Amino acid sequence: MAACTRLPLLFPKSLPAFRNKKLVHTEAAVSETAYPANVASLTAKSKSARRRQVEEQVKKITASTVQEKLSLLTRIQHKKFVIHPQTFARNADKWYQHFTKTAFVPGLPDRFTLTPEETGGEDSSGSAAGQTSVPGIGDDVFADIRTLVTRVILQEHWHLKKRRPFLYRKQEQLVGPVLRSLASGLTYSLVKYNPLLLLCSLDIDPKVHFYWRRGERIIPKGHRKGRLEPTRFQIDDQPNSQIRITQQLPQFVPLEASYTAEVPEITLAPNVMPLFRRQYDNNIFTGSKLPDPACYGHTQFHLVPDRYHRDRMARQKQSDQVEVFLRANGLASLFAWTGAQAMYQGFWNNEDVTRPFVSQAVITDGQFFSFFCYQLNTLALSVEADANNPRKNLLWGTESLRLYESVQDGEVVGLNDGVIKLLIQFLMNQP
Amino acid sequence: MPVTRLLYPLYQLGNPQLRIFRPNWFLTLVRPGKEQPLDTAQFRIPMEMTKCDVKNYLEKIYNVPVGAVRTRIQFGSNKKRNHLNQKVKQPDYKVAYVQLAQGQTFTFPDIIPDKERAPTEGSMEEMQEKFMKDEKQRQKLDPRRGGVTEWFGL
Repeated sequence: MAACTRLPLLFPKSLPAFRNKKLVHTEAAVSETAYPANVASLTAKSKSARRRQVEEQVKKITASTVQEKLSLLTRIQHKKFVIHPQTFARNADKWYQHFTKTAFVPGLPDRFTLTPEETGGEDSSGSAAGQTSVPGIGDDVFADIRTLVTRVILQEHWHLKKRRPFLYRKQEQLVGPVLRSLASGLTYSLVKYNPLLLLCSLDIDPKVHFYWRRGERIIPKGHRKGRLEPTRFQIDDQPNSQIRITQQLPQFVPLEASYTAEVPEITLAPNVMPLFRRQYDNNIFTGSKLPDPACYGHTQFHLVPDRYHRDRMARQKQSDQVEVFLRANGLASLFAWTGAQAMYQGFWNNEDVTRPFVSQAVITDGQFFSFFCYQLNTLALSVEADANNPRKNLLWGTESLRLYESVQDGEVVGLNDGVIKLLIQFLMNQP
Repeated sequence: MPVTRLLYPLYQLGNPQLRIFRPNWFLTLVRPGKEQPLDTAQFRIPMEMTKCDVKNYLEKIYNVPVGAVRTRIQFGSNKKRNHLNQKVKQPDYKVAYVQLAQGQTFTFPDIIPDKERAPTEGSMEEMQEKFMKDEKQRQKLDPRRGGVTEWFGL
């Protein structure tokens, strides 16, 4: 009955507020009593569990030291495409550009002046002979370096008596020592003018390794059929010599400038190139181990082997592939080197580089020199990381320039000063 | 040996070259099963040919500038069995992937285009098709009913 209830006779329209005092101050407390966060399982056989496993792995890698990062990223072996920087494949440079997300810019960055006297060795005026547009180098130093170059070339080609080289060993016997002594001679002479070279490390026959993932494919056959698999690549390179320094070289071009560059897209599978897959240890190596203070790269020197010498290519009517080969070589070697340098600093696929890494390379077959500059703007090359990544890596490269015509009667004929100037400019590059 | 055995007159310096080489080999241009780059053409070649033979063949006879040739041998399956339960072997063949030089490209042409199924006016097929279409249309329910059957209602 109505009289038995505790309600008042006049039932109010709205009950007075704060009736139940228990609820007033405990609202904040309810949100503080933390129930565990509502996340997907870690061990279930589901897509969300797999996603969470990947996230946990990424967090674990991000939180570890550089040494552990490298070992975690290269731990598990899978079948991967092995990219050889010096390759017989045709149009290799377009493929390599796609694999490494690199845009090719003909010519060199503005820092290096390519004067029009490249093609003519002893050109006109006395002003040309004495003029060195290399900042910080006097004429007498340039003359010294010129004599050094002639001395180095003559030593191997004229003074030393060498036996007839074996088949396909001519470059190794004749030009290898030239390049090595050239690299060391130039480094020692320019130490006074480039303080970086004082603390540099000149490696002879170093090994450079890099491992990365780019692109995906659906596995066509096998017990993993139908699943997505990232395509993995490995570069194992052995330049003739390289210079490693303790400070990083300054960038050629700001990061944002690479957003507009064009990278060729290739939708075909890499094995059509032809490129072959193997499984072995994934290595990432700049030329020395992690604790080395000289962890940044300066210049690499590469030798063109007999198999890809331009005379042999001309005999096989493939002269157009000579430049392609040089570009592919420069691209792959420099990408591997700069990538390894960046990984030594702790950057990897999901943690992209905050500053561009820069390196240079000189590729030669004794007579013809090509100069390459590489700027690594991004390491995020796998499918997930590359989805919204506007950055691209940049490669500048020249055509091959002739250093000298020939060696006759103890004299080097037709020495090109422009090439020597470029070499000096390359080695003088400092922040 | 490229040519079936023939005896030629002994050659001495200055004699005219009397031999005419007509190789007994025939190449078959095929459509690639897997997608190939634009400068690559795929051939089926006799088992005895080598990469150099393919290169010379295409360059000398057909004037095709060849960049690189890669070959492989495809094993023909020996798995199928006939009505006597004997294994039936499909023949093995050699495949050559030829990359063209001088920037030339090649795509395998579409030899058999799809036929347009438009029956001619006034023919039997056209009347039959129209009849079938009308029948199907009559079988369908009123679309305004939204999938509800006609068991219910008036």
